[in-house]
Amino acid sequence: MTDGPVLKIENLYTYFYTRSRQAFIRSVDGVHLEIEKGQTLGIVGESGSGKSVTALSVMGLVTAEPGVISGKVGLKTANVQKNLLQDLSEYVKTATITGRIMDVYKDNRRWQKNVDRVMRGIRGREISMIFQNPKLSMNPFTSVGRQIQESILLNTAVRSAAEARDRALYWLEKVRIDSPRLRYDNNPYGLSGGMCQRAMIAMALSSEPSLLIADEPTTGLDATIQSKIVELLQEIKTTVGVTTMLISHDIDVIRALSDQVAVMYGGTILEHGPADAILSGAMAQSHPYTAALMASIPNREQIRTKAYLQAIKGEVLDTINLPEGCRFYPRCEQVTDRIQEHCRLREPGLLSISNGHRIRCWRYQQ
Amino acid sequence: MTTAKTILEVQNLKKYYSSSKGLFTSLRKTTNFIPAVDDVSFYIKENETMGLVGETGCGKTTIGKTVLKLTPPTAGRILYDGKDITGLSQAGFRPYRKQMQMIFQDLDAALNPKMRIRSILKEALTVHERPSDAQVDRRIAELLEMVNLKKGKLNNFPGELSGGEKRRVGIARSLAVDPRFVVADEPTSALDVSIQAQVVNLLRDLQQRLKLSYLFISHDLRVVELISHKVAVMYLGQIVEMGMAGKIASAPRHPYTAVLWSSLVDKTTGEGKSVVSDLEGQHWGVFDFERPTTGCRFAPRCPVYEVKGRPPFCTNPGTPPELHRVGEAHMVRCHYPLQ
Amino acid sequence: MRRFSQYAFEISDVSHVSFWKKAGPMDRVYIGYGLLVVLLVVISYLLGATGALPYDPQEINLELIMAPPNTGGHLLGTDFMGRDMLSRLIISIQAYFLPGLLAIGIAIVFGTCFGVFAGYWGGALETATTYVSNLLNSFPRLVLILLMVAAFKPDIYYIMIIVGVTNIPVVASLIHSKIQFLKQKNFIEAATALGLNNCTIIFKHILWHNCRSVLIIQATLGMAEAILMETSLSYLGFGVQEPTPSWGNMVQAGSNYFMQGKFWPSTAPALAILFAIMGFHLLGDGLNSMLERKGDR
Repeated sequence: MTDGPVLKIENLYTYFYTRSRQAFIRSVDGVHLEIEKGQTLGIVGESGSGKSVTALSVMGLVTAEPGVISGKVGLKTANVQKNLLQDLSEYVKTATITGRIMDVYKDNRRWQKNVDRVMRGIRGREISMIFQNPKLSMNPFTSVGRQIQESILLNTAVRSAAEARDRALYWLEKVRIDSPRLRYDNNPYGLSGGMCQRAMIAMALSSEPSLLIADEPTTGLDATIQSKIVELLQEIKTTVGVTTMLISHDIDVIRALSDQVAVMYGGTILEHGPADAILSGAMAQSHPYTAALMASIPNREQIRTKAYLQAIKGEVLDTINLPEGCRFYPRCEQVTDRIQEHCRLREPGLLSISNGHRIRCWRYQQ
Repeated sequence: MTTAKTILEVQNLKKYYSSSKGLFTSLRKTTNFIPAVDDVSFYIKENETMGLVGETGCGKTTIGKTVLKLTPPTAGRILYDGKDITGLSQAGFRPYRKQMQMIFQDLDAALNPKMRIRSILKEALTVHERPSDAQVDRRIAELLEMVNLKKGKLNNFPGELSGGEKRRVGIARSLAVDPRFVVADEPTSALDVSIQAQVVNLLRDLQQRLKLSYLFISHDLRVVELISHKVAVMYLGQIVEMGMAGKIASAPRHPYTAVLWSSLVDKTTGEGKSVVSDLEGQHWGVFDFERPTTGCRFAPRCPVYEVKGRPPFCTNPGTPPELHRVGEAHMVRCHYPLQ
Repeated sequence: MRRFSQYAFEISDVSHVSFWKKAGPMDRVYIGYGLLVVLLVVISYLLGATGALPYDPQEINLELIMAPPNTGGHLLGTDFMGRDMLSRLIISIQAYFLPGLLAIGIAIVFGTCFGVFAGYWGGALETATTYVSNLLNSFPRLVLILLMVAAFKPDIYYIMIIVGVTNIPVVASLIHSKIQFLKQKNFIEAATALGLNNCTIIFKHILWHNCRSVLIIQATLGMAEAILMETSLSYLGFGVQEPTPSWGNMVQAGSNYFMQGKFWPSTAPALAILFAIMGFHLLGDGLNSMLERKGDR
């Protein structure tokens, strides 16, 4: 049963219309991802790289049109084994020109109904989510304890309210909220930012999900609180051992928590593999984008010598007007004469360079 | 550095916000005051950068805004170039706006969404002077070159630019009046990692070219350490430690500074765990909502306080810690500074 | 395959798209319709001034009372005094136009002032303005108008002054909240930091660049409201007084005959009211979505 990944995303495409409805924002443009049981996959990328939209697509929470247009999201847990995007092709018609989707017809209303049917019993029960802004994601009028209690009653086998309350207190303690009995009756606004994030994590874990999606769990918190939340997540990883999809723009957070890392840029995966291999920062064995991204963060040596930072030239890719070739080509410093033609004109495929380490770059292709 | 003259000096600056609002509460005599900035003093020399770090709500931004007279101070003095500017009216202060500028945290702040980039820059150029059209065009071209922005963007609206481009326009707009002193309020926080480095390089570049002085407000410790000559660490409205950038980072004396920098270290590599890590108990980080306004403000979260067995001396309102010298150009506000 | 254009033309760059292209198809219909109504007002003035109306609207013809439409050259028939309906209909829009403008002018000028005082300077001024606004809002408008009419005389201009004054709080609160919204975006502060004076900030940055769409919409809605107000007052007999025609008093006069099966003297002006009010509303709507779209993707 435990064979195979818990979550397997294949060929996911999620597009949105621009304001003018004349073009697409290609938020997620052909994403492949796998998460093995008990592991943490860190997705790192800049704003607009499509990392959050990938998570929302998995959860079936994309409501803007046209939204998810093709792909497969295979969820395989002890209770459930199905494609979360089943029958998608019945609702969507696409027109492709030179391998790129140029027009979409989608019956969004019927699709939403279908999603809600498919996701029943999965959202919150099999997959839980931690959002960036805990105060906005929790009900401001109900105490945190009660919200966790309700989630337990709804999503687990626990049926009695008293038992659920005990479970809620157990989880509040688990996320190291001090005096959980007191905090139980606090509204989200009565808690500080760090506390509220802890409560949010408790709530996500309380339904004992098979997969936890953490979307920028530390963004917007102060440095000291951030490191505490990272510590908490590390602790939970060892004690609870939940399979996690961690989304962050902060490489440090990803490094601290991930077993596997996927680097996203412009709606696609540029690099996917074991965390150590990808985040080592060695130019020879990683994608130029990953290497440049790591180099642009000041390291101790640079701070000591007050050196200039190695910035990536240009702007973050605008996913409306994709380049014809490699997405990173306009900003890439590693283009050699040998591969220049390829980089400019053709998009490279994901190539496996070592065990489980795949890179989308012409440098590694023959 | 010793010969450079002081461009900005802040003495005992206080800014209290009253939490009362409405007609009837203002009639009541007792009002709640929240000390956003409490007794802050520092100076900045010419062509120098002072970094100001601290967590959200510690009053960093308030200091920046008070210095530029965007909000009036409750008490204290602000001297610019040796002249007291505290009591000046908005009109009296206007000549100084030509010399003191601000880069706002919010990318859209400086950019009226309904104006094209060209008119935004032109407006900035014509605030204090009356240049001819040809001069304006030449200056705009200069500014664009300075901040490394494409000329084609001039006809766009701010909404059509990316984050990095907006930031550049914001910087160009501040530089248009030829300032000598710039308050940079979290100039990189709203940007992507790959763009942050560009902006940091740009700001350093501009400092050298234009001989600018910066008050650099940020919560990104690495960037502050890199760009600043000296650093002040703030906690709940007070400066708790001030000194040269390298000293603050490598040999902090205040427990809070140590905690702050250690949070960075153990997140990255785990190597070089600092002095605090062994002091840290389970309690740390738990009481992050307590904000005392008397005595030592950091005491409820302080690992040293915990280790010393919670001495009442620390929390006694009668004996608040004072900012005192502990080394060459190094001040700390703590009863038990770390060694 | 309409999205082919992606390669040829950079869509993200909307600043070079002309004003009309930015409007959606429905906006264009709305605005076009609204402008048509405005055009009809202008035509009414032209016809009235040049005397090119089919008949003299005041000319009483007792031979031909309550003639149904299309009899004896009267396209819409005649009313109970034998006056030509069409001519009266055309001329009676003039009963609203200038008084309506007066009401709009009062509301917008004073409302903007109060809004700016409250929003820009804030503090005690904000509190005071809010209280005055609430006070004005809590007064029933109709009672005020009736008081005015009782104290002076039933004149449309007096009525419209009251309509304008009672609309001040509406405009003031709109401008107030808009300024508060803009202040959140920090750019007023940024303009101050740059060294701009208050006058430039208020008039250029706040009112011209960011509030003009609000004000235009308020003006078009004000016009519609003026028409509606006059109509309801006419029904009470306090609106525009005979023999000056207005749609309101025409409906009122015609309503006596409605039950006798002679519906045209009241239906024609009622329809005119309907179309005019709709026109002004749609004009405001269309202009709103078009002006607000400018500058953002």
